[in-house]
Amino acid sequence: MSALTAPAPPQFQAPTPDELFNLPPIIPGVEWFTKPVLLAVLSAILVIGVTWAAFGNPKVVPRGVQNVVEYGYMFVRDQVARPFLGKDADRWMGLLLSLFFLVLVWNLSGVIPLAQFPVASHIAFPAVLAISIYVLKIYLGVKHQGGIGYFKNMMFPPGLPKFIYVLLAPIEFLSNMIIAPFTHAVRLFANMFAGHMLLAFFSMVGFWFLFEQLTPLGAPVGIIGVVMTIIFTAFEMFIQFLQAFLFAMLAAMYIGGALHPDH
Amino acid sequence: MSVLAEVSGNVTAIGYGLAAIGPGIGVGIIFGQGVQAIARQPEAYGLIRQNMLLGFVLTEALALLGLVAPFIFAGI
Amino acid sequence: MSAQERRPEEDGRDFADAMWSIPSYLLAGMAVYGGIGWLLDRWLDMSAFFPIGIVLGLVLAGYLAYRKFSR
Repeated sequence: MSALTAPAPPQFQAPTPDELFNLPPIIPGVEWFTKPVLLAVLSAILVIGVTWAAFGNPKVVPRGVQNVVEYGYMFVRDQVARPFLGKDADRWMGLLLSLFFLVLVWNLSGVIPLAQFPVASHIAFPAVLAISIYVLKIYLGVKHQGGIGYFKNMMFPPGLPKFIYVLLAPIEFLSNMIIAPFTHAVRLFANMFAGHMLLAFFSMVGFWFLFEQLTPLGAPVGIIGVVMTIIFTAFEMFIQFLQAFLFAMLAAMYIGGALHPDH
Repeated sequence: MSVLAEVSGNVTAIGYGLAAIGPGIGVGIIFGQGVQAIARQPEAYGLIRQNMLLGFVLTEALALLGLVAPFIFAGI
Repeated sequence: MSAQERRPEEDGRDFADAMWSIPSYLLAGMAVYGGIGWLLDRWLDMSAFFPIGIVLGLVLAGYLAYRKFSR
């Protein structure tokens, strides 16, 4: 006897990352076409369709879908673009709005029934977005501050004693050029990955103890699992919205930092 | 002697989990009290902000120290 | 320095900027100086420089973040 679980042969198995995230192809033989790819494409089409329906033929007095999407536009403009970009906010709204909506729909597909897979929990998807923001950031920085000026502004912030620059310049360089885009992608990825694992674990507990192996001792555990699944689904929806907001906000922050040298 | 319960997997992950408790509470206290202080005395914003930053830096450093502690002790 | 002439949204932006940058500064400091210490350890066949480098990097990065953002 090496464990605390019941002696019956079929034991409860917690879901492993491999079986949750390593999904088989939808069409056998087409290796790249898996569920996250399908969801990513569907989300992109959905976002394009909804914004097209809202802003393709805009009315002065908004009705229907335009009303809803304008609410999202206002949110992105006032909370994301304006605080970080100031007077340049309207120029960058196209990028930031599509980024926010795309990541939001990607994340929300983690709790939508039948989809139930947050696309961003495969690191390739947030990594592509973060790398494009990173390239854009460097391009804008070099364009607006000059090739040498950009790196000088980045690595030698004013107002420090002279001799300490030798020690601090490598920290600045590494933090801005490597760690910042890395954490930009990993923050979204890790939140979605952990959230999906958590939901899968609790729903597995509920299903196992209430349907597969219904015992008097196991039933309360299963009820706890179901209750926790409901609570964590609500919590996950909040986290998914928050992460989409943070992703767009960090993108706006990097773009704003590249446009204007350190204030 | 039969084993009652055992831990499989990487033990250092548990170590980091324990090490993250303290800084987590600390960051919560710093920002909670900081926001409260700003709400009570908005004119002292600059001073409060400076001290919040200092506290956050020191607390966060502890959390990151916990992150690398397994690597440090693996070397010794 | 002068808190009076700054607009509130400017303050908010600076503060959010600082909060997102500090962890990445600390990580970068640990990576740079811990890396140097690790290389020194490999070179001199010792084991003391890696922890020293980690702590030194944390201190320097904390100093940098504090000086840079508490203006």
